Amino acid sequence: MSAKLQIPLTAEQAAIAAAAPDRKIWLEGIAGSGKTSAGIGRLLRLLEQGIPAESILIYVPQRSLAQPYLQALRQHSGYSGGQVAVQTIGGLSLQMVEAFWFLIAERAGFGHPQDLPNFLSLESVQYFMTKVIEPLVNQRDYFNSVRIERARLYSQIVDNMNKAAVVGFRIEQIAPRLKSALPGGVEQGHIYDDAQTCALEFRQYCLANNLLDFSLQLEVFLDQVWNLPQARAHVRRRYRHLIVDNVEEDNPASHRILADLLRMCQSALVIYDSDAGFRRFLGADPENARGLQDLCDSQAQFADSKVMSVAGRALGRALAGQLGAPFVTGLDESAEDDPQPSLITEAHRYHPQMVDWAADRIDELVNRQGVSPREIVVMAPFMSDVLRFALVEGLMARDIRARSHRPSRALRDEPAARALLTFARLAHPRWSMTPAEFDVAFAVMTAIDGLDLIRAKLLTEMLYRGGRLLPFSDVKSEAMQDRITYELGARYDRLQTWLNNYIEGAPTEALDIFFRQLFGEVLSRPGFGFHDNSDAGNISMNLVDSARNFRWSLEFVRRYEDQTDLGRDYLDMVDRGVIADFYLRDWIADNDDCVLIAPAYTFLLGNRAVDYQFWLNIGSEGWARRLYQPLTHPHVLSLGWRADRTWTDDDEAAMNRQTLGRLVLALTRRCRKEIYLGYSELSESGHEQRGLLLEAIHGLLRRSAAKNINGKAHV
Amino acid sequence: MNLPDDFAFTQGSLQDAADCPRRFELRYIKRLRYPAVEAAPALQFERRTRQGARFHKLVQQHLMGLPAETLAWSLHDDPELAAWWGAFRKTGLTGLPQGRQAEIALQTRLGGRRLIAKYDLLALDAGGEAVIVDWKTWRRVPAQSHLQGRLQTILYRYVLAKAGGHLYGGPIPPEKIHMIYSFVAAGGQRLGIDYSAAQLREDEDYLLNLIAEIDRAEQFPLTEDETRCRFCTYRSLCERGEAGSLDLLDEEDEFAEEDYRLDFDQIAEIEF
Repeated sequence: MSAKLQIPLTAEQAAIAAAAPDRKIWLEGIAGSGKTSAGIGRLLRLLEQGIPAESILIYVPQRSLAQPYLQALRQHSGYSGGQVAVQTIGGLSLQMVEAFWFLIAERAGFGHPQDLPNFLSLESVQYFMTKVIEPLVNQRDYFNSVRIERARLYSQIVDNMNKAAVVGFRIEQIAPRLKSALPGGVEQGHIYDDAQTCALEFRQYCLANNLLDFSLQLEVFLDQVWNLPQARAHVRRRYRHLIVDNVEEDNPASHRILADLLRMCQSALVIYDSDAGFRRFLGADPENARGLQDLCDSQAQFADSKVMSVAGRALGRALAGQLGAPFVTGLDESAEDDPQPSLITEAHRYHPQMVDWAADRIDELVNRQGVSPREIVVMAPFMSDVLRFALVEGLMARDIRARSHRPSRALRDEPAARALLTFARLAHPRWSMTPAEFDVAFAVMTAIDGLDLIRAKLLTEMLYRGGRLLPFSDVKSEAMQDRITYELGARYDRLQTWLNNYIEGAPTEALDIFFRQLFGEVLSRPGFGFHDNSDAGNISMNLVDSARNFRWSLEFVRRYEDQTDLGRDYLDMVDRGVIADFYLRDWIADNDDCVLIAPAYTFLLGNRAVDYQFWLNIGSEGWARRLYQPLTHPHVLSLGWRADRTWTDDDEAAMNRQTLGRLVLALTRRCRKEIYLGYSELSESGHEQRGLLLEAIHGLLRRSAAKNINGKAHV
Repeated sequence: MNLPDDFAFTQGSLQDAADCPRRFELRYIKRLRYPAVEAAPALQFERRTRQGARFHKLVQQHLMGLPAETLAWSLHDDPELAAWWGAFRKTGLTGLPQGRQAEIALQTRLGGRRLIAKYDLLALDAGGEAVIVDWKTWRRVPAQSHLQGRLQTILYRYVLAKAGGHLYGGPIPPEKIHMIYSFVAAGGQRLGIDYSAAQLREDEDYLLNLIAEIDRAEQFPLTEDETRCRFCTYRSLCERGEAGSLDLLDEEDEFAEEDYRLDFDQIAEIEF
């Protein structure tokens, strides 16, 4: 059934891989110490021993973290058999709730237990949240002292509900927890009460309409489905061998399920990354994860990094030490190791100078030294549009491919999506969402191959009247017709005719179908801007997915209550910036040979090492300070929080230092060669920057200078 | 080599390669996503595709232990689906071996490439029969010869013979393999197709050739049979007409369910 499946392993990795198929092993070590390779070795060894692949479960906090395992299986030439399963708590809970729904829906309190459940995506959650609580917010003047966008307020309410679910407390406890730990006066207390009222209203609405956001899905799974004998029997039969990776990045709900799985299964390997736990803002609880150690028969520890250079190791230790990180493991080497060879820094006055410097250094690495772009990552605490654009343009000018990755990218910002959305407004006049003239010009330019913005503006100035496009023949001036050209005029006419026929016909309420028809019948045809254009195809497909998912959610609820126009509601949500779903297919591109431009935590969650890292904006406070979130708090709403405690400014400062310490350790442990530090005195917005990371780096360089070490530092 | 080393062939990709090399190139080599409508009317097509997916989910739920009556109770909103379910309950599992694995995927290697088959149901008894069951919600029952030539038939039997031994207690003799297409929209009518060692060799040669052609190809010509373009989303790129009529489409459940499903798993992780 299976040929010899092997990868090169060290002795300690081989020992893990070769452990008997009835052993449950806890494996701990720093990032880059070879734990995942040991896990892959274990997986291949199990298969080699004839264990059915479908009985093996790889359990990770985020699906992309299972890629090394799947990649190893794919690349093995000899394997025949079943397929290993990959699960996360999100995926497992969704599949199980969906499968056993009809056995638990009534008991769980859903209003229509005979009907199917409807699992909500983030944008559907935001839509229903807005629909349910906005009247309350407006009538009762909720959150009137909080000066942030409504969409961000609502996302914090969602965040609170999700934290309650993953930690395991009722949503009624959200406000009491926050109020007792964060005494901010009567006004702040009201804000927490209001947030909880909104959460409860939303929960009631979901229950009444068979809707499941992530928090309800998880609660129903843990409280109902997981107690069903059929559900447990199914899981017990299915998954006999468990490989859990990055368990420290998972949440208490996941740990609870893993504890049961560990008791049920025949063998297990649980991998724990020391000094990590970056997903705390997502509910990760590395301390709680340690409880799983007791359910394993044996413990193993990998101490040595197989990634870091001596200097990189010294840099991680020095910076973490500078930040007073008490948790550092595996860093007891000689304090005399010099961190400077792994560090290249340069100070600039202005932000654009720093960006140019980074692009020049990458140019040197790629075009002079032959470094693969894939071995370079450029990071900042936040990746603003300005910084992203400047970096991508700077690298393109140097003939270097780059890809930027932001978890939440608004589709409406993409030209293809903007054009489709504008045409949707034009094609549905009854929605009274007439687009602005410039938007129409932009859409026409995007749609018609060869048409520039100037001529597109001329066309719309002449032919966009009363919310409709007139035919090209209505251009009376021959000079103007010549300027536009008859060829482009003919293309314009085809688009205009299609839109007007659509308006005269029976416009569909299904906006995704409208997008697909317009794409297939006009925009993707020869002579139009989306023809043979993979970016436009991908963006259009994302928009179709988003609109279809939205429509399905709303159609579902329509069975129980009157709804307004689906398409109009969708466009309204787009205008309000709610469309921000993240699609896995964006991750698939991670194998491309490009420089990665990403926020620091996004890079970390990809869990891979590179040769060169660029840390930009090192003066930014964003490296250490968490986002302003007046309605929630990641630590107070965590499992380890004691009800009698108060969160103080000292706690906040200590947490910032600890968070930054973990971050720099994690980054240095994922760097094989050098780290370039980019600093500008003035930030992108022109403010002086003196953040905690800069302070730590200054301290480090001062100490190095005192030791009179020759280095390349110029700060 | 036109494809990445870890590319896996499925029935869908092999059928694309056999039907239209150009479609294969666009979808799997260039990875070009083209969201045109597959069939008109689009909403009716969507409904039928979703019905097919829901039926398969029902079978899976039943095989996971949910009582058939409970599932029937949930079909009050779809009489057509309820009728399919009724047909399944009558004959869907009749006469099948007791060792049953629903929604299982197997993979093997051929010509340096992975082949993957995802089965609705495998029913096998060690040393006895090894039955592949595939439920179809097509409105019309095709001729046996049509089914026999489908890539699904060729691939599924071959992969089971090569990669299903662990479910059977040892290598599966090809003569023990049977494939059943069960047409629930036609009252559960079954069409069965046997297998043999000679057929396995023939299928292996065919698959090897097809894979080698793809790997060696320098050009991927557009099919000359324009009827194959009717339900292809790339037809606007190739200038091959408008979306085909749903009345002419029988095999709507071949449009992958994944096309209609977001990866909620990943989204849930990110959003939270």
